[in-house]
Amino acid sequence: MPELSIDGQNVTVEQGATILDAARAAGIDIPTLCHRDGVAAGTSCFVCVVRVNDAETLVPSCATEAGDGMRVDANGDEVIAARRMALELLLSDHLGDCVGPCQAVCPAHMNIPLMIRQIAAGDMRAAVATVKAHIPLPAVLGRICHAPCERGCRRSEKDTAVSIMLLKRAAGDTDLAQPEPYKPECAPTSGKRVAIVGSGPAGLSAAYYLLERGHACTLFDERDAAGGMLRYGVPPEELPHDLLDAEIAAIERLGAEFRFGEQVDAARLETLRNSFDAVILACGELDEERRARWPDVPLGKNGIKVNARTLAASLPGVFAAGDAVRPARKAVNAVGAGRTAALSVAAFLETGTVTGPANRFNSRIGKLLPNEVEAFMPEAVPDGRTAPGEDGGFGPEEAAGEAGRCLHCDCRKADACALRDYCEALDAKQRRFRPDNRGPFRQFRQHASVVYEPGKCIKCGLCVRITRARGESLGLAFVGRGFEVRIGVPFDEALGQALTTAAEECVAACPTGALASRNVT
Amino acid sequence: MPEEIDITQVDAIVAAIGRGEESVIPILQAVQAEYKYLPRPALRRVCEITEITPATLTGVSTFYTQFRHKPVGEHVVHVCVGTACHVKGAERVHEAICRELDIEKGEDTDSDGKFTVQKVACLGCCTLAPVVQIDDVTYGHVGPDGVNEILTDFLAREDRDKGKRRAAAARASAEEHGEVRIGLGSCCIASGSGDVRDELEKAVAEIAPGVAVKRVGCVGMCHRTPLLEILKPNEEPALYARVEAGDVRDIFLRHFRPGTPLERLKVRAAEWLEQLYSGETHQPVTRYAIDVRDAPVAAFLGRQKHLATECCGVLDPTDMEEYRLKDGFVALRRGLCELKPEEVIEEIIRSGLRGRGGAGFPTGQKWRYVRAAQDEPKYIVCNGDEGDPGAFMDRMLFESYPFRVIEGMILAAYAVGAHEGVFYIRAEYPLAVRRVREALERCEAEGLLGDDILGSGFSLRLRIMEGAGAFVCGEETALLASVEGKRGTPRLRPPFPAQRGLHGQPTLVNNCETYALVPWALRNGGEALAAMGTQESKGTKVFSLAGKIARGGLIEVPMGITLREIVEDIGGGIAEGRKLKAVQVGGPSGGCVPESLADTPVDYEALIGVGAMMGSGGLVVLDETDCIVDIARYFLSFTQDQSCGKCTFCRVGTRRMLDILERLCAGKGKASDLDDLEELARTVKCASLCGLGKTAPNPVLSTLEYFRDEYEAHVEGRCPAGSCNALSRYAVTDDCIGCTLCAQHCPTDAITFTPYERHRIDPDLCVRCGACKNLCPSKAITIMSGGRRVAWDQKPNVEQAANA
Repeated sequence: MPELSIDGQNVTVEQGATILDAARAAGIDIPTLCHRDGVAAGTSCFVCVVRVNDAETLVPSCATEAGDGMRVDANGDEVIAARRMALELLLSDHLGDCVGPCQAVCPAHMNIPLMIRQIAAGDMRAAVATVKAHIPLPAVLGRICHAPCERGCRRSEKDTAVSIMLLKRAAGDTDLAQPEPYKPECAPTSGKRVAIVGSGPAGLSAAYYLLERGHACTLFDERDAAGGMLRYGVPPEELPHDLLDAEIAAIERLGAEFRFGEQVDAARLETLRNSFDAVILACGELDEERRARWPDVPLGKNGIKVNARTLAASLPGVFAAGDAVRPARKAVNAVGAGRTAALSVAAFLETGTVTGPANRFNSRIGKLLPNEVEAFMPEAVPDGRTAPGEDGGFGPEEAAGEAGRCLHCDCRKADACALRDYCEALDAKQRRFRPDNRGPFRQFRQHASVVYEPGKCIKCGLCVRITRARGESLGLAFVGRGFEVRIGVPFDEALGQALTTAAEECVAACPTGALASRNVT
Repeated sequence: MPEEIDITQVDAIVAAIGRGEESVIPILQAVQAEYKYLPRPALRRVCEITEITPATLTGVSTFYTQFRHKPVGEHVVHVCVGTACHVKGAERVHEAICRELDIEKGEDTDSDGKFTVQKVACLGCCTLAPVVQIDDVTYGHVGPDGVNEILTDFLAREDRDKGKRRAAAARASAEEHGEVRIGLGSCCIASGSGDVRDELEKAVAEIAPGVAVKRVGCVGMCHRTPLLEILKPNEEPALYARVEAGDVRDIFLRHFRPGTPLERLKVRAAEWLEQLYSGETHQPVTRYAIDVRDAPVAAFLGRQKHLATECCGVLDPTDMEEYRLKDGFVALRRGLCELKPEEVIEEIIRSGLRGRGGAGFPTGQKWRYVRAAQDEPKYIVCNGDEGDPGAFMDRMLFESYPFRVIEGMILAAYAVGAHEGVFYIRAEYPLAVRRVREALERCEAEGLLGDDILGSGFSLRLRIMEGAGAFVCGEETALLASVEGKRGTPRLRPPFPAQRGLHGQPTLVNNCETYALVPWALRNGGEALAAMGTQESKGTKVFSLAGKIARGGLIEVPMGITLREIVEDIGGGIAEGRKLKAVQVGGPSGGCVPESLADTPVDYEALIGVGAMMGSGGLVVLDETDCIVDIARYFLSFTQDQSCGKCTFCRVGTRRMLDILERLCAGKGKASDLDDLEELARTVKCASLCGLGKTAPNPVLSTLEYFRDEYEAHVEGRCPAGSCNALSRYAVTDDCIGCTLCAQHCPTDAITFTPYERHRIDPDLCVRCGACKNLCPSKAITIMSGGRRVAWDQKPNVEQAANA
């Protein structure tokens, strides 16, 4: 039984075990895309490379037999750099959007495609939950959002963007009309308390997500009602106050405490810092007077100086969000920032360190080629944009119809993609080796349960080996070689004939979104 | 559209070849030979009646470039884009042919379906570069302005051949009447020796029927082919170079006289009549005669040492008797009948022989590993999948010395205990395949293969497998996968083939040159081989010497000779009086050794030390007109194209390196490109799966090291050699006399016809084919890059010098 050392840790394995097996036995993580237990080795992705005995070359750990006395460097700088490069090379040839462009440009990062699919399926309850996971004020933003998502919408390359804002409004309005509107599952009370200065969109949003995590919130506002610019900056004919009140009430029901007519000056801030576990400054744009209000809080050019990722201000325990940091004067930006601040504060309260929310890796197609949008069209409702009803919004049927126009251009495996996870973990940059020209986006949707997107394939051949091992009569094959190699069906038959009994296993094994289940929500 | 084909042929093919998955490549080759491509109904039929699955069939048939899935034109035009052809403008020849045939970008067949034009990695006729092959007719030295001629010639030849019959050669003893030897290697045939042979046989039949016409293998002097050697009893041999079919009769008449006075008269009358009617007088044929003792030939041959190519220019490739007379099979008898297998291995270890395929692994040691492996059966494989653009050593060895390679292989099989073996030879080398096949049949008939060879009790069976067009199959694990009927993708080593090779059994894989050296080593003793060469590299190495050299060809030199000695002494220096810039050693796996390091000896370690490698032995000489970035781009485009696509670093990494190099050559380089390129190259080199990927960056790394300034010039938008199209342009100088020759020959009408005036070249229409520059009688066409004349083009012409 060979005994080897991996990153200084000794491990003994069965004869014939690979270095990857040994590393796993030792609890050392080595990423791999093309390896799958029970399927013949492919030795393709080379994301699992390691250095053995200080050799000049690197070897794939998934196919290198563990030898007695080996010294394996599994996480040294050069090894990591090579892994990152392998990922960057795969990314340079990876044609797909992890999340839809709508979501990518949404300042609140709302999972818009998911909401749309839920609306299309008639599940408004689920849709509102999806919205509220990032935007606690759907009926409000369903009316006054500047909707950058619609400018990002791929459907606009065909005719006009999906009416995302009105769909969100439909979800929000439907929810408010329910006897028991949606209420998120809140964590048990933590005992921690957060003071939020300002009850505009940023402050309300921060409160919502802190409360969801069990942290008590008190919102201080110098005016006598909550809402900030939503109430005082937007004409009521655009945003009726009863709607605003209803959505604020929903936050209040989660436990938010409001203190109106209370200005927080420097001295008050000092007391808040002492009596609360954290403070979020979300007071809106800083005018001359406000700029001078907190001499201890360092300012930048635009507003309160913060760490851009965590929104932590320079004073310990103090965070800032919204127009107070940078006057964007956009409600959805403020809502997004409020949520970010809440997550930072929550992490700070729970762990004592300020980490900020994880920035998910995002592969992007970028601009489509001329006519390329047609590749996304086959299953979308071909009609143009649905006109809103007399009240300016959609009823349930209109909403479902409009939702059907969505191209589902986001990845079906965005949350089950090993490539994405490793790119995120190793900070791989997609643009590094991106070529000037690329092949066209293609999508095969003929299979009853599988969608195949060749542009996302990393040619690891797991599906080829699985279909062969499972005795598929047609199966999948490598077609061509070298850079042009692709996975195809012999004799250009339909995918449905190639993948029968092994379909599910292939989808599960595929390390990217190349093979994905057709029905995902 | 359903394809109408006669499916019964497929059944016959399968019946003849076999039904197992390992038969897939031979079956596909036979199907393609039958239908000229792979019609889908035929492929479906193969799956129906064999064990080959649709997925395997699809994977294999799309992996190898030999296989076509679309119908071809009536004739196939192969444009060689090997290294030697590349540096002599093959790309432009390809463009010119497509232009001539009106073939659209992205297509390969003309609208009439008459010609299909394909690029081919290397036809192995590097000394005739640029080379174009139409069906089985090979044209050498084809310029972009000459494509019309070769197409016309081909069609004319096609008509002519329809009624042609080949006269059978009468054989008689050379001692009595004399002998005419004619080189019939692929290079010679490509330069017309087939026609010469036909003429010769006619002349023999007519004038002196007793004279033997003997075909011999490659003489190595490819730069002077076709070669004709005349031997007469009691006379010095006479050697004629660059013989044309029309001269054969005259040459022949100089040495042989018709037998009877009447015949003599007849011949003379016919000659006189012909002159009268054609109005032509033949130039005296002496211009072709070369004496082996004359200086260039002596220099070409003098520094060489013929071991693998022993008896070069003398042996009839498939004449076993003659091979025996020249000590053939002496080593075999000694090995099999006098020595134990271990003793054969000892002898090879003493010889210091190392693998000639490129990596230079000690041969004896490899044999010892295979010998020591416990599993039975064991296999032996001859790696003849020579795919390097710019190399044709293996082809020449197979074509000229098939018995020697077989002899070496039998000895190796005996030493390691293998009883079954495979010759893996590129299908692009049909003559090599034919000669080895003939030789194998002969050996079987003579009891040198089969059971109980020479009464030693040792038995061995050898067969040929034709490679189907994949450079990566030169890598041994990929080659073995290919023999097993799989896609030629390498796998990780260890285990090495010596432990687990063909069908998982211990397998000895050696290059054909390695085997060819074994008989010499065994006959003369290991010490004799070890006495030649350097400390670590023993014996000789065969190189194909090509590029910008005066005398190119196939050479065998002792290890330790310097690159400069090869270029200057054997190669006669740079052609056209230009300056040596670099020697590209080792093909796509090797590197460019700059002129300043040309005193590097031929030695495995020394070459690696300067960033090159022995490789399988391509030496392409570059002069100052060659752009180093373009050379790197060229090799990368080759390896990138030949990557099997299995591992990320090679599949995508080489592609991204190529992207950068293409950007540089197109004048779109960025400042960050060079650093990105270097990091990419280093990582691809250190982390790729197999030798192809691990060595693919060498041409880039070595040129980045020695010629970084040239890369930097490209980033700035300048090509110092004036070779990159996008960075250079042709211009007319004041020397123009307005003769209009350039305008007449410009293929794209980029030069307006303006008699007696200085001509102008429209840079947008100009395709940089160089036709005008070659034709201009007053040398008034110059190449500009970055706003100045390129350095090598600034030589003052005679008139300017006189005025000064």
